[in-house]
Amino acid sequence: MVELKNVDVHYKDGGRNGVDALNEVNLRINDGEFVFIVGNSGAGKSTLLKLLMREIVPTSGRVFVNGYNLSKLKGRKIPYFRRSIGMIFQDFRLIPNLTVYENVAFVLRVTDRSNKYIRQRVPYVLNLVKLSDKAKFYPGQLSGGEQQRVAIARAFASDPGLIIADEPTGNIDPELSYEIVELLKDINRCGTTVIMVTHEHDLVKYFGGRIIKLKNGSVVNDTYIGGSDEGE
Amino acid sequence: MKGSNFSYLVKQGVVSVWHNRMMSFASFCIMMVSLLLIGLSVLIAMDINIVIGSAEEKNEVLVYVDYKTDQTTLNHIEDVIRSNDNVSNVVFYSADEAWADKQEEMSRYSSEYSKLFEYLDENPMPHTFKVTIADLTRINTTAEQFRSIEGIESVTAPYDYATFLVSMRTTLGLIGGAVLIALIVVCVVIVYNATRTSVFSRRKEISIMKYVGATNSFIKIPFFIEGMFIGVLAGAASWGLTKLAYEAVVSFFSEDITLWQVLGLANLIPFESVTWIVLGLNCLAGALLGALGTVFSMGKHLKV
Repeated sequence: MVELKNVDVHYKDGGRNGVDALNEVNLRINDGEFVFIVGNSGAGKSTLLKLLMREIVPTSGRVFVNGYNLSKLKGRKIPYFRRSIGMIFQDFRLIPNLTVYENVAFVLRVTDRSNKYIRQRVPYVLNLVKLSDKAKFYPGQLSGGEQQRVAIARAFASDPGLIIADEPTGNIDPELSYEIVELLKDINRCGTTVIMVTHEHDLVKYFGGRIIKLKNGSVVNDTYIGGSDEGE
Repeated sequence: MKGSNFSYLVKQGVVSVWHNRMMSFASFCIMMVSLLLIGLSVLIAMDINIVIGSAEEKNEVLVYVDYKTDQTTLNHIEDVIRSNDNVSNVVFYSADEAWADKQEEMSRYSSEYSKLFEYLDENPMPHTFKVTIADLTRINTTAEQFRSIEGIESVTAPYDYATFLVSMRTTLGLIGGAVLIALIVVCVVIVYNATRTSVFSRRKEISIMKYVGATNSFIKIPFFIEGMFIGVLAGAASWGLTKLAYEAVVSFFSEDITLWQVLGLANLIPFESVTWIVLGLNCLAGALLGALGTVFSMGKHLKV
């Protein structure tokens, strides 16, 4: 579960005023939901994600993710909190000198899983994203869509309760974007909460669901819409 | 941490040397040259110290005693001289030996001198104690102590020679120390910058590791191993270069036998006698520089 209570984030810019990135944000995302977060540049989407990843702490208010109170989380506990979420980035952020298999296995190594478990789990998630035949490839040898599928496999490998996707379709061909979101929807159907930040309105309209719109650091709309894919 | 994970991290460290071979090679070269300069400087400084030390050992304070002095008094004087804490060696040179040597020496110049000796009723030479001083900086005090012994006629000491050697040792010691410290500081800064550049080029990789929940120690271990591995290789390579350079320096000086003898270069440290120490210290210094340099360079990038 994700919950923000009266969250303000104020960036100091070195001058007298600074910037208000988020104002009095109240938000609750329940387990198992699939949520789109939309908004223009400067709306506060990146700040919201930084809060959820515990890259920053709020100036005031409280942030709860997967049972962790992020406002009070100590630095040395952050890695353990991050293991409870899976991150997907616009620029994939795969480790370039590790193969596809090793990139996915890396998160399991981090969580101190046994070699036996890794040998079973990695082929399983690579099969889910249909990349079993590319296991020995390096990220540089893959297309953008394939790299993003590796990133999804990596995010899902440790079976986290929450996956946060930051513009996951931003760097790939439009026709592949639907495939990526479909993959995230499949993961969501397995019970994992998915928060996807995007500015692609066509995708949001197509898939529908809960849409949270940010503007000037505030939630201006939190609604459900029906998607075009529902009948398919 | 599980053993399998630890061995994975060690393996990753070694494999990373190859994956980042350009930066690894740059770090390797910088560390190798740094260790070569430091190693060679230390060896040369040690040699200079030994050369000055051997020159110092050739000092001789001459303590003269009247030739009529009886054996008991001579024994007493020798005991007092030997009991001085600044004396490293004492050789007794009797008046009779001195007189015989003098006559032989003079006769070599002209046979006429031997006739002159017949006119002398008694031995004009004194008994002499040839004393080697341990600490030249105290030669004045020690000579004064000898003068105060009862029965001593006079004392001569190589004060200028001693002063020159002492000031040379002090000056060279200061210069050598300053050069060595400067060299170490410069090398540490260069190596630190090289490792920082290497780590900077992989900052994205570090941030990805942080995002997926890796602890700082989990991220640091492969970098630590990698830095240590490169450092040990650089240490071993610099050992080979130090050997070649040092032997070249020694052979350059040994070609000129006169210079060799004047400087007492027979005492120069043979590389074979320190080869394992140099190898060990080079590898240890390389490992420390590489490992700590890399880990300290990571600090900023771990704050994600």
